[in-house]
Amino acid sequence: MPGEIWVFAEQQEGKVKKIALELLSAGALFAEKTGQPLGALLLGSELKGATESLIPFADKLYIWDDPELAVYSSDTYLPAMAALVRERGPSVLLGGATSTGKDLFPRLAAHLRTGYAPDCTALTIEDDGSLVATRPLFGGKVFSEVTFSDDRPQMALVRSNTFSVDPNPKRSAEVFSVPFVSESARAKKKVLAREKAPDERVDISEAEIVVAAGRGIKAPENFRIIEELAAVLKASVGTTRATVDEGWRELKDQIGKSGKNISAKLYMAFGISGAIHHVLGIGTCKTVVAVDSDPNALIFNYADYGIVGDLFQIVPALTEELKKTLTDK
Amino acid sequence: MEIYVLVKQVPDPEAIVKVKGETELEIENKYFTNFFDEIAIEAGLKVREKFGGKLTALSVDNRRADALRRAIAMGADEAVQITDPALEGSDPFGIARALAAFLQGKPFDLILAGRQAMDDDAGTVGLAVAEALGIPHVHGILSLEVDPTERVVRVAREIEGGKEILASPLPALLTCQKGLSVPRIPQVMNVMKAMKAQIKKVDLASLGIDPTEVGPQGAKVRVRRYFPPPRRAAVRMIKEDFPENVKTLVRLLREEAKVI
Repeated sequence: MPGEIWVFAEQQEGKVKKIALELLSAGALFAEKTGQPLGALLLGSELKGATESLIPFADKLYIWDDPELAVYSSDTYLPAMAALVRERGPSVLLGGATSTGKDLFPRLAAHLRTGYAPDCTALTIEDDGSLVATRPLFGGKVFSEVTFSDDRPQMALVRSNTFSVDPNPKRSAEVFSVPFVSESARAKKKVLAREKAPDERVDISEAEIVVAAGRGIKAPENFRIIEELAAVLKASVGTTRATVDEGWRELKDQIGKSGKNISAKLYMAFGISGAIHHVLGIGTCKTVVAVDSDPNALIFNYADYGIVGDLFQIVPALTEELKKTLTDK
Repeated sequence: MEIYVLVKQVPDPEAIVKVKGETELEIENKYFTNFFDEIAIEAGLKVREKFGGKLTALSVDNRRADALRRAIAMGADEAVQITDPALEGSDPFGIARALAAFLQGKPFDLILAGRQAMDDDAGTVGLAVAEALGIPHVHGILSLEVDPTERVVRVAREIEGGKEILASPLPALLTCQKGLSVPRIPQVMNVMKAMKAQIKKVDLASLGIDPTEVGPQGAKVRVRRYFPPPRRAAVRMIKEDFPENVKTLVRLLREEAKVI
């Protein structure tokens, strides 16, 4: 099969994102099936650590190391990647459905005049190298399985936690240093500042475990008990539209239709009634736990385990129980 | 400021969407103006109210002009509907092709769109339009400040773990995220006026687009099949009294679900 399978190995502050390693692990299986080499694309500045972490994950590692690439901008990343695509003609190009992926891939696909599937929740490849992408539509009310035209590369963005991370110690990527050519003539965007969110938790869209509360928490300060539970589970804290609209929580933590889709291994909902807006965002979570005082709450229709009860009693007890169990391990 | 806002009428989040056939969907006739597009219209109106100029709403749709009427009711100066039978079955790149062809050569300063449409949730059309026009874009802005004399915008966008503040030269295309603005509810009088407003219709021939470039023939991605969301097994209610129920939950999460 001609062409290579490529993964955009997105890094933030010199660290390769977990989603990139997930995609490279899936890419390794695809490459084995089609006999194509697996390539990782790494763009940034001072990439020694990132380079090393990628060695057991790919056959080829293409690196653009330039101060101008330190912070992502479509103005610099897009022409750099497009030029290498034209030169090497890869057959597949995958990336994570992150803030960077969503800013870059649609435009890159338009630029290359090739097919693109956003926000995929499953990917497979056929023997002839054709990619088959599964993605939710209408917020998850239906799913579609899509195939690509003959244009190459076949591009897709994939949600976090769709694949597991599986390095291959026998693999040792050959490193190719790609020169970065700055297009100084073009009017460019400038990143003026990057502000860190006050909490250091992983974004809910990338987290393996998410615990959330809705209006049932009654007051913004009561989120303290949810935060304590999250700390024990090393989880991120999500919420519903209602609490965001009340100004209790930040928009970045909102799960659902006007917020984010999450794909956690474990999602726990406390005092969340289960409005359609919300449950559409949790459809691809592996295990869902719901705790609500109303036995008829809709959320129980979307859960694996349910408890009817008072969250103010259950959450602290759960935190204590987990502290015991998880340290006993 | 010459402002264009890309809008779309989409099924309401409450609308029932079902799989009808292998490649066919049944969508309940319950539509609204895409949530993020209303945020874009509002942001555009704020800019026009501050600096003057004109706001034009633009939509590609063969059936519905409601999003355009909504934009007029909110205060848009003009509305243009690109409509042509050949556009049926276009992918986002086909739609973007039509929008960009209309915008090409227009004296735009700012083009706004929603972060994504709440039907295919692709978030592609806006960025593809920016690419076709060769102007900078920022996806999912949370704030917007315009400096018409320096011809720059300052915007914020969310990144994982924080925010990024950017400056972009104008003209630019910005897609709008929740939190940027709170869309105004149009007055009844304006809604009535919008019902009767003239909506300019444009077809592909007048845009110089060959019908084979759009529609299913021009599509880069094809739906092989639709299927309903995977069903979760029936919920297992833990009915023991407190605190045994908590202990049971932890045990199930460890031993059965194996997620902690």
